[in-house]
Amino acid sequence: MNGGSTPAGRAVAVHFVCVVALAAGGWISRHVCSSGLVSEPARVLRLLVVIESPVVIIAYSLVRSDKERTSFLKAVGRGFLGLPLGALLNAFGAIVLGAPFWIEYLKRTINWSLLMSLFTFVPAVCVFGYSRKDWLRILALAKMARVVDYMVSLPAHGAVIGAWFGAWPMPLDWERPWQEWPICVTYGAVLGYVVGVLASLSFILCQKVHKKED
Amino acid sequence: MPSSMACTRLAAWTVAAVLLQILGLYLFMFAFFPVRPALSGLSGPESFLMPTCGSADIPERWNLPPHELRAMYKGMSRLPPFFDRLILMVVDGLPAEFILGKGETTATKIMADAMPYTHSLLSSGKALGYHALAATPTVTMPRLKAIVSGIVGGFLDVAFNFNTQEMLDDNLVDQFYHCGQKMVMLGDETWIRLFPGRFIRQDGVSSFYVKDTVEVDFNVSRHLESELAAKDWDLLILHYLGLDHVGHIGGRNSILMAPKLKEMDDVIRAAHTHAILQQNVDKRTLLVVVSDHGMTDNGNHGGSSYEETDSVALFVGLQPKSTDFKLQAYRTINQVDIAPTLAILFGLPIPKNSVGLLIREVVDQMTDVQRLRALEINSFQLLRLLQSYIPDVLCEDLCVGLNNAHNLGISPSTGSVKENFCHLFSNAVNFHNSWKLLNESEILNGDLPSITVDAYYEFLGAASDWLSTAATSNPATMLLAGISIMVFSCAIILGLLVRMLKEHRQKLYPSHGTVFNCSWNKDEAFVFLAILIHVFSLGSSSLVEEEQYTWHFLTSTLYLIFLFMRIQSFVGFSPKATMIVRGDNHSTQLPFCFSLSSLCKILKGTSFVCKDHQSLSFCSILSVLICMRVLRGWHQGGVNWIHLPDISKSLEEAGTSVIKTFRIASLVFLISLGFLALRSAKSRKVYLGVLVISHFMSFFLISLHILGYQNHSLLESSYDLSSFLLLYGSLILTLMISLLSPWFSPSCRQNISWETKFQMSSPTDERVVNYFLHSIRDPIYIIGVTYTSSWCLLQLFLQQPINAAPVLMLFIQILVSTIYFSHEESQYKPWVEVSALYFIGMTGHFGLGNSNTLATIDVAGAFNGIFGQSTVLAGIMMLIITYASPLLYLLSLVLYISLKTRKYLLGPKSVPLTCLLREMLVFPCLVPLALNSISLTSFTIILFAMRNHLFIWSVFSPKYLYVCAATVCVYVGLLVVAATISYICAVVFYKRRIIGPQAIADDT
Repeated sequence: MNGGSTPAGRAVAVHFVCVVALAAGGWISRHVCSSGLVSEPARVLRLLVVIESPVVIIAYSLVRSDKERTSFLKAVGRGFLGLPLGALLNAFGAIVLGAPFWIEYLKRTINWSLLMSLFTFVPAVCVFGYSRKDWLRILALAKMARVVDYMVSLPAHGAVIGAWFGAWPMPLDWERPWQEWPICVTYGAVLGYVVGVLASLSFILCQKVHKKED
Repeated sequence: MPSSMACTRLAAWTVAAVLLQILGLYLFMFAFFPVRPALSGLSGPESFLMPTCGSADIPERWNLPPHELRAMYKGMSRLPPFFDRLILMVVDGLPAEFILGKGETTATKIMADAMPYTHSLLSSGKALGYHALAATPTVTMPRLKAIVSGIVGGFLDVAFNFNTQEMLDDNLVDQFYHCGQKMVMLGDETWIRLFPGRFIRQDGVSSFYVKDTVEVDFNVSRHLESELAAKDWDLLILHYLGLDHVGHIGGRNSILMAPKLKEMDDVIRAAHTHAILQQNVDKRTLLVVVSDHGMTDNGNHGGSSYEETDSVALFVGLQPKSTDFKLQAYRTINQVDIAPTLAILFGLPIPKNSVGLLIREVVDQMTDVQRLRALEINSFQLLRLLQSYIPDVLCEDLCVGLNNAHNLGISPSTGSVKENFCHLFSNAVNFHNSWKLLNESEILNGDLPSITVDAYYEFLGAASDWLSTAATSNPATMLLAGISIMVFSCAIILGLLVRMLKEHRQKLYPSHGTVFNCSWNKDEAFVFLAILIHVFSLGSSSLVEEEQYTWHFLTSTLYLIFLFMRIQSFVGFSPKATMIVRGDNHSTQLPFCFSLSSLCKILKGTSFVCKDHQSLSFCSILSVLICMRVLRGWHQGGVNWIHLPDISKSLEEAGTSVIKTFRIASLVFLISLGFLALRSAKSRKVYLGVLVISHFMSFFLISLHILGYQNHSLLESSYDLSSFLLLYGSLILTLMISLLSPWFSPSCRQNISWETKFQMSSPTDERVVNYFLHSIRDPIYIIGVTYTSSWCLLQLFLQQPINAAPVLMLFIQILVSTIYFSHEESQYKPWVEVSALYFIGMTGHFGLGNSNTLATIDVAGAFNGIFGQSTVLAGIMMLIITYASPLLYLLSLVLYISLKTRKYLLGPKSVPLTCLLREMLVFPCLVPLALNSISLTSFTIILFAMRNHLFIWSVFSPKYLYVCAATVCVYVGLLVVAATISYICAVVFYKRRIIGPQAIADDT
């Protein structure tokens, strides 16, 4: 496989589109539907998922790693299959870590884990498919050489770590509405995702500069 | 190895560090929570007499009828009661600033306008107003106690008296009661709980519903008119809660505050006009308006800031001599001064443990004879209290001083506290005596009375200050000394641990020499981070209250990271790849871990699809995670969200039969898991059979107990002791049998034949080593399984019925984690594994429904299983029940050690016993010790830093008691582990010396 198959410009474009879609989702929920994440978390999360999912799947399918063998449509299909699967994994993680299990929170948990799946699992599935070697590399955050490696793994790790830290204000007794599950966790995840995207961009640009120097 | 440390030296260092820690903890505890010696009983007629040198006080005369008692008091005190009736009006949470202003400034315009009548009383000199300094904790109950008894309480008094509601110390209400005075109480029902059965009429209101600011006070005031008109009471207590509620809702500057103050002013007006102004001559009435504590700007209280401790005391009905009261700023007294002043005014003995002194302006209104007598009585009472601190304060020096009238005008002694008190007291007494002489000979001396009063006050002030600071102050030097000793011992333990880690790493990477790379794995980094996060979380009061979330979050994250690493190695091609990367050259040489493999076989048989170790380890991590989540949902716990639904609440709603089913099911699961674990031991069959039978006996006894358990049996105390005795007996028997296991270790033939399955050709040396490996590992394994399973059985018996399933889940977690860590492919460092067990133990502690408030301690359960009313035994039971989970993980370390005992520990040559012990015990003992001392030391520092925090007594101090108890648990648990392992190894070495290696070689 050719290492630098994805040009840096395209990578920047993918990240840009994803973040813009996220921002657009937030804007629409606030100004069009006039409902904030704090007041109606399930609805806003669903809106975000609906807006973000086609953007992420299509954008990452365009930068799939083995273009020779996988068609664009196949990658898109993989992404749509991966969305609920990743949501399942994320929901498992969240519930094991203490997310409420009873019924009134179920909708929020589902929507939140779908969004997390879009941050973490779906890009990887779209890009790498079933390639064991690639998965190992991005799971271990080691020996990352190609642009897509950074693009997939850094935002995903950022989102997970951000969500983990986002859960810390929840037990505090400040009695703020945003301390409810999964609002501050979502804030943390989005923040971590954006930080991950920025880190990935800077890595990619650094790499490009190095290449030019070479 | 050059840097390797000898076992004895290591042990010596560790023990020294632990002893240092205990010393530091003792110093800190002693300085932070001073224990106050208190006199028991009510003070009677003896309080009017000079305390004697020994303890030859007049025996108490409570058999006297009330009126005779009153007459005797009158006669002995030579002070007539100045008042007949007392109206004690308590306005909860009223800061003195609202009425009296702060310092030189007067109260703000709004406040002054809200209370016109009170201000007119103050400015016309009809009332005396004081800032009454309240001691911490500034919460209602201890402060009420201080008002009526003059006691400055320490935290431990509050903590250990949380169960006893009735006030047992000497106090004014009881003194009134014993003199046959009639009492009426309207307001906060705390009074009724403190003094049950003392009131002829009472209307208690609950302070539970804080949002209500109107009804609570209306319920008091509706009786006011009739009570003020009634003639039958001698003490009327009015406790208004509304103002405190206003503060809690809106803070000091709430818009509701001024109307509420107006309401209070109206009550004062009514009381004054009806009861004092319209009084007839034989019923002189005193109105005392006090508040129990102040409030912060936000309306909270409990801490020690000026705003909270600045409470008010108004005396209405006295006739002050001087009329220029409005000119002087209001003086500050202590809240505890109210009790002795009231006692003297009503001709009663001063409560025994009072540290207060008579309020000077009140005393000044009496005649010279009376006020000197009053001060004398106050001095006697304080001297008696001083006697309990300094036993010989009254002896030789004082007697000499009393007999020697030449001591007048002696230079102030610069000696000890005792001498100082003696000097001050004899000084005052001498002035008093000479005044008496002069008075009798009718030589009027204008100055002498006031000089005498000053001398008395000098003594009283010094004694009162010393007594109240001796009770609550925390001398910073001692605190700092304690902290620094603890930090030092923590540093020793951490240093030892780091050194051992280095040695361990050198053993694993011998090629690297001393320069090894410090790259950290995810798990190690996370454990480190988790410890840091936990330490920092202890600084936040709400995270201390909700610590169960912290532990659960951290522990399950750690296990998720384990799972992640497992997935990673699963995705990566083979476990060998990772092993080569990590250079774990020992595990490749290892023979198959025998107990593990057989347990795996069993587990494989029982679990559904486990084709290889990969999926088995997946399943084990998943089961730990799921158990942990269920445990988390079992009890909601904490403080703020305790009302939310959880599993235990729904089970309790479902009824006793469901709970019983759960208990039986957990018992059956637990005992069968224990049997499965025992089955894989390789001891002689007969011995194992006996062990299993003794286990079964305990099982049988417990199931009988559970089946016979009725929910209401707690009330009838139908717990028959025989069942407890039988169970303890059978558990002890099981332990005894298991402790015999090193003597019944597997026969050589059986072992080696088993060994040859794996290694077809092995030299004699190898076989000898294998023999010893098994002869050591097997008994440890048996004892480890017995320890854990017996402990869980005991807990099933002792814990609340609802906690049966959590105990089972804890057992599963511990067992599965231990087995998982002993897995050959386990890539974790030993310290990470022991930390993970520690984390599970702490998570389980909260999973069993414990919290950091003292309210969740199962006091009733602790008294169930013991004989008689022994406080020590009950304390031990309380520790066993509360710390079930941390002790379980500590005991499970025995099991962990047995599964981790590898061949390389023994080596081909005969290793000395101490070396082997060191290898086996170093991480299982040092890591829990280090983790605990980190949390102990850091929380001690946090407590020191937060000593003026609002929640110091309500949140941090209870937590500190928990941390100290956890430290005790760690010491005890590690002692048991170390003793057990040493015992087994000693026995095995002894046997080896008896049999000799040649015999084993021949035996094959």
